[in-house]
Amino acid sequence: MMRPAPWIALLAAVLTWPAHAGLFDDAEARKEIIRIRDEHTARIEALEASSRASLQLANQIEAMKAEVAKLRGDVELMMHDMESVKKRQQDFYVDLDARLRKLETGGAGPSAQIDPAAESRDYESALNLLKGGKYAEAATAFDAFIAAYAGSSFLPSAHFWAGSAALQAKDIARATQHFNTVVNQWPQDARAPDALLGVANCQRAMGERRLEQNTLKAVISQYPDSAAAKSAKQRLGN
Amino acid sequence: MMKLTDLLRFLLIALLATVALTARAQLSIEITGAGANRFPVAVAVMEGESQLPRSVTEVVRGDLERSGLFSLVEMGPRPMSEAMPPDFAYLRTRGADAIAVGTVVPAQSGKYEVRVRLYDTRQEAQLDALTLTMTPAQYRATGHKIADVIYERITGLKGVFSTQIAYVVKSGGQYKLQIADSDGANPQTALASNEPIISPSWSPDGGRLAYVSFEAKKPVVYVHTLASGLRSVAANFKGSNSAPAWSPDGSRLAVVLTKDGLSQLYTVNPDGSGVTRLATSSSIDTEPAFSHDGQWIYFTSDRGGSPQIYRIATAGGRAERVTFEGSYNVTPRPSPDGQTMTYIARTGNGFQVAIMDVATRQFAVLTDTGRDESPSFAPNSRMILYATEIGGRGVLAAVSSDGRIKQRLSVQAADVREPAWGPLPR
Amino acid sequence: MRYPLAASMLALALLAGCSSTPMSSDQGASVEDRSAGAGTIPTVRPDQPQGAGLAALRDPNNILSKRAIMFDYDSFTIRGQYMPLIEAHGRFLAANPQMKMLIQGSADERGSREYNLALGQKRSDAVKKALMLLGAKEGQIESVSLGEEKPQCTERTEACYAENRRGEMLYAGEF
Repeated sequence: MMRPAPWIALLAAVLTWPAHAGLFDDAEARKEIIRIRDEHTARIEALEASSRASLQLANQIEAMKAEVAKLRGDVELMMHDMESVKKRQQDFYVDLDARLRKLETGGAGPSAQIDPAAESRDYESALNLLKGGKYAEAATAFDAFIAAYAGSSFLPSAHFWAGSAALQAKDIARATQHFNTVVNQWPQDARAPDALLGVANCQRAMGERRLEQNTLKAVISQYPDSAAAKSAKQRLGN
Repeated sequence: MMKLTDLLRFLLIALLATVALTARAQLSIEITGAGANRFPVAVAVMEGESQLPRSVTEVVRGDLERSGLFSLVEMGPRPMSEAMPPDFAYLRTRGADAIAVGTVVPAQSGKYEVRVRLYDTRQEAQLDALTLTMTPAQYRATGHKIADVIYERITGLKGVFSTQIAYVVKSGGQYKLQIADSDGANPQTALASNEPIISPSWSPDGGRLAYVSFEAKKPVVYVHTLASGLRSVAANFKGSNSAPAWSPDGSRLAVVLTKDGLSQLYTVNPDGSGVTRLATSSSIDTEPAFSHDGQWIYFTSDRGGSPQIYRIATAGGRAERVTFEGSYNVTPRPSPDGQTMTYIARTGNGFQVAIMDVATRQFAVLTDTGRDESPSFAPNSRMILYATEIGGRGVLAAVSSDGRIKQRLSVQAADVREPAWGPLPR
Repeated sequence: MRYPLAASMLALALLAGCSSTPMSSDQGASVEDRSAGAGTIPTVRPDQPQGAGLAALRDPNNILSKRAIMFDYDSFTIRGQYMPLIEAHGRFLAANPQMKMLIQGSADERGSREYNLALGQKRSDAVKKALMLLGAKEGQIESVSLGEEKPQCTERTEACYAENRRGEMLYAGEF
């Protein structure tokens, strides 16, 4: 740091010059004073320039810090946007997947997430009731299955077995409804010929012989190569 | 020279003027918006209440009405006793879904016993019953207690009528840190100073307030024990000391210090010992607030070029940004139930109280005022108390967390700011 | 609806001696006795420190009598026009190492009080750093913030806000 003391001392010495006559001559002293003064001025100027430069540097650092902060903010926003886009894309995919699954299974019902293990288990247990001869219980179990798994690929079979169980339980109206559901909704399903035969069985159970014969003819014309058509032919022949 | 009688008259007038001023210095509450579906409840005049100088029933009714959640069914001046079941059929025709009846009887040594029963008029069943012993002067506290029980039985949420609030009143060049009941009654001055006081924060037990006072010509954090009036310095380091926030267990205070440069987050013991740096950034970090479980500290930082809300685990780690919409989101205050966070957002209408769902980060602006500051949750997380400005004057206002119920609390001829809602009484 | 609530200044004082007997114990529905002590919260009044002035720094013809540095909105850099003022004070502090200085930073009133306190601190820190570059010692200077609490100007105009975004240099005895 600048210390004014030395040159003030010198100045004092110069001012008290007459008391020390003979130490310097006049011209020499004056030259020395000018030299010191110039040197001093130069040093002060250099110092001021350097501190100004430092201040400018400090200001620049401050401005750059602000700039970096803004960039950081931009990065934070972009990361956030990217996360949101990622999440939205995932949501889109899940939604699309659910819709496709619904289309694939041909179901028109709500696309609830299906647990395949529970689906198979419930179907099997209903079928076992039917095999065990518990027809009324089996019909109820299949109805429950149909309500619970609206998008299930077992649906045509479930309706078929529900119809069969209801027919055995002498609930003819309910049986007809189930068989018709199979025939109307899944006419290309492997169970459709048997379901149509089931409709004929229901008509027979109600004593509607004419309707039964028409239905049996329909089985033969619509599904000529099916096992159901063979038994329809046998029944018409009798 | 003034005559003695004149002097006496002058003194009397001066005294009356003081009384009038004190009376007006109390916060008065105005409801500016109410809930859509208000629960119809009847509060009958308590039998024997006329023995008391002040009505407890009126306190109960006032509390329920101001909450914005109830509509009071007019019951007339006829007292109804707690001893007899009310006429439910009649009450149903009056549209009252619940009724409170009570009896006041003298007890020993000048005290009174208040018995209250709350009935559901549709189920014709008693919902609750309580007995309280009070001195006549305790009519307000008794009323608040009864209102708390009715509120809790019917809404399932804790009532907050018995809680207190802290706030700062500025009038002239004077700053007063005041404590009042949540309805604005019984204001008391804990600190009076010629220098600003900001950021009061209640200790979880309600016994102490931490705040920032400028009495030393710089911000210093104090902890003030209300009962004794004893204060101690919690943080007075070189530079500024501010933004105190208690940890949920009351053992630590989060503070903002500038002793190491910029405003940064630290924690200290309430007695000022054990200073620990919480986070390090090259930007402003301020306004810390603990989450209800003490796991997180929410704070305001301008590390991203504009003030936004971040949170950091109390155990340490990376700060996570919480707000992304807008260029000014400050003063985060997590709700006591941990579900939401309230804060101040700068919107097209100015600075407004907003609320964010912590899990989904969905947010909504709750107020229609434009100079909102310092939001503070009620201990039941249902209402948010905040400072705003109406007609160029600082007032306190409250808004429900769904934005439906709005109240205004103001003091005549003074600026009120920096509210903090105290905890449930223990 | 308006509820002019009557003042009852003594009510809490009389709260002492309250007791309760809850009928349903699970409710715990007793009148809260906020303890005898809490009934009357004593009012604390801090002392006001008073300091002596320093005549040498009060000569209006001396640049050292000027103390305020204004800042642009959202800015913490010292504008060129204040360089001579900063240099004068920096050199004065360097030449008088016994002198101590308090720098009070301020912010305009818009927004959060605590965030504004931090902004004021950033401004006082900028002044402190500049003075130190000019030779002042760390131990001589304390930079603090008044936030928006002590505005120079109380109108709601841009000019007023600008006036309040400042750093104020005070020598020991002046604060």
